[in-house]
Amino acid sequence: MYQALLTRRYLTSKIMPLLSAGAVMLCVAMVLIVWSVMGGFLNMLLASGKQMMGDVSVAWPIFGIAHYEQLIDDLEADPSIDRATPTIEAIGLMSLPTDESRQVQVIGIVPDGFDAVTGYFERLYWVHLDEPLPKDKNREDRRLTIREGFEEHGKTLTWPDVVRGGVEPAVVTGIEVSRFYRRRREGFIESRLGQILPGFEVTISVLPMNRKGGVVGTDSRKFTVANEFRTGLYEIDANQVMMPIGELQKMLQLDAQDIPDRDWIPGQIELGPDGVPRPVLPKAVGVQPARATNILIKAANGVSPDALEVEVRRIYEQWTQRYPDMGSSDGVPSVDRVSIFTWENKPGLKTFISAVKKETALVLVLFVIISLVAVVLILAIFWSMVSEKTKDIGILRAVGASRMGVAWLFLRYGLAIGVIGSLIGGGLAWTIVHYINPIHEWLGRAMGLVIWDPEVYYFSEIPNVVEPSRAAIVMIAGGVCAVLGALIPAVRAAWMDPVKALRFE
Amino acid sequence: MMTTAIAQPDGSATRAKAASMIEAREVFKTYRLGRVDVPVLRGASLAVGEGECVAVLGASGSGKSTLLHLLGGLDRVDAKPIDVDAANHVTYRGRAIEAMGAGELDRYRRTTVGFVFQFYHLLPELSVLNNVLIAAMVAHGRLGYMRQSSDLRERATDLLDRFGLAHRLKHRPVELSGGERQRVAIARALVNKPELLLADEPTGNLDQTTGASILDAMMSLRAETNQTMVIVTHDPATAARADRVVKLVDGKVATSG
Repeated sequence: MYQALLTRRYLTSKIMPLLSAGAVMLCVAMVLIVWSVMGGFLNMLLASGKQMMGDVSVAWPIFGIAHYEQLIDDLEADPSIDRATPTIEAIGLMSLPTDESRQVQVIGIVPDGFDAVTGYFERLYWVHLDEPLPKDKNREDRRLTIREGFEEHGKTLTWPDVVRGGVEPAVVTGIEVSRFYRRRREGFIESRLGQILPGFEVTISVLPMNRKGGVVGTDSRKFTVANEFRTGLYEIDANQVMMPIGELQKMLQLDAQDIPDRDWIPGQIELGPDGVPRPVLPKAVGVQPARATNILIKAANGVSPDALEVEVRRIYEQWTQRYPDMGSSDGVPSVDRVSIFTWENKPGLKTFISAVKKETALVLVLFVIISLVAVVLILAIFWSMVSEKTKDIGILRAVGASRMGVAWLFLRYGLAIGVIGSLIGGGLAWTIVHYINPIHEWLGRAMGLVIWDPEVYYFSEIPNVVEPSRAAIVMIAGGVCAVLGALIPAVRAAWMDPVKALRFE
Repeated sequence: MMTTAIAQPDGSATRAKAASMIEAREVFKTYRLGRVDVPVLRGASLAVGEGECVAVLGASGSGKSTLLHLLGGLDRVDAKPIDVDAANHVTYRGRAIEAMGAGELDRYRRTTVGFVFQFYHLLPELSVLNNVLIAAMVAHGRLGYMRQSSDLRERATDLLDRFGLAHRLKHRPVELSGGERQRVAIARALVNKPELLLADEPTGNLDQTTGASILDAMMSLRAETNQTMVIVTHDPATAARADRVVKLVDGKVATSG
């Protein structure tokens, strides 16, 4: 009881506790702001990454998975799976109109299925806008003036064939692949090279391989870039090129092909229908089915990627039992050999996400270490306060206060400072994070200070959400730190000799 | 009526006039100043009967305050006294204070003893009323205090009223005169109705008139409640107000009577 009374009086009668609460407030606000912004950045990266690959993938690179349509039917029949779609992933070379070449990841897709699994259509960038983005006050975004057909070209991966009529297969590249554009702070991009828009032609070269993984040649074809996509994840936007799966199957020789007669002897000559001798060609004894290197799978609502991965393994294993005579090189690898992974564990992406996670953790640890200064500061302030209150301690002990009671007085005092500092710090952090984009804009206007450069951080908006769980953790930690800072002085106060304390001058 | 043997400097024993409530028997206390041991009490003995008012008279440094601290359980006798054959203990109603654990000793100070110090020792952040009530809060704990809050506030207010401080309840100690502060300190010492009031130079920091008024107040209270008191003083006039005077010289009781 007396502790509560004295805590109130000490808090309101001295400047030192207010300084301590100020230190706690600043540390709580600092850690919470950093965690919210960096954690939000990571969440945005993860969300963007997931959107282009579904929840779980089945991958058998180079050779591809045969009879994949049957596998997809089996997968989609399972209630834990919403949709599945085949893709082909291959390394390729893309030559741009500027005579530059880029190594790219060429992905063959079935647009509708790919969209159903990944939300691909929503990632198409060149889509006509009726209204400018909120920050685009001068209406400079080119999408305000482009024709609406661009979106359809992107959705169908086709481009009008002006010579022969109809449409021809086209590609859709990541927005960063061509490097024609520069990101604007207003949230859109502008061309570095004048009026370049989709519709330019590129040449894509891939290397088909045989069943032993050896290169059997090159296949280069020209395509029109029908649209571009933007996921926000630089690794994807700067490397991936989408094209119709059928085109890529042909280029990589993964399309359906005749199986030649093994008894055929080369060099034999026969007479043709016109009586002219010609070489005897091998007869087809069957058809090798078309293949896809990846199956992307979207979980049904409420099914976690990890749970889905387990289910996919089971379905895949059952599916392989349909083709007992086919092995890995025939496009039916066993469940032990094929790669089945959740989107977070995708090779390449996993490394990148892990790097961003580590960076976030590192920054957080650094700020937490800096925050320990607050603990030391509180310790110093409390040490000084215990010295100042030595006589009070002697008086309390003389009227019968126990050592624990005296210790609790100072711990409670520390806790009160921690709670007050944490609450104000949490409020301050919420306010700053919530209004971080207007604040950032103001800093840019008033002082030319650009901390969050969209050219570096991929996103034009700074994450501005404080997660309640994070706020709770940081604020509780703030209170605990204040109590820790008060602990040693509290123990010192408790063990003070009351007679010496009463004689203290 | 029970009588108590009191050791005298010459080794003989006399009988206390009243029943012994608290007794210090051949107590030794040494303080360490730097590397030097300074013996303050060297076998001092004192017995105080129920309702008795004893004045401990002595020069500065004679060990008066130390004896008071030992009686009040604020300090403990030497674990290894110079005279190993000495009794060297303080007893309250026959119970050795040295044998009390920390909790029991805290409780003894809370409920049995009330201290009044020369320099008042009030808590500067608290009002006059709260300075008195703080002892009640410590004694009763949170729940006990909340249950008896109105009674305790009434008692504190009555005590302060009795000492002429009814109009000063919300004032801070810094706003009071020396005499007023000491009256607040006495009210604090009495708020828990202690059996033993220990006053260490209660008038030592006051002018003669104010000091006399403080003593008047204490004696008046004593007359009403038969309060047992030990008053430490170097002032013979103050000592003369007590039932009995014990003179302390060089850490020992020189005369008692």
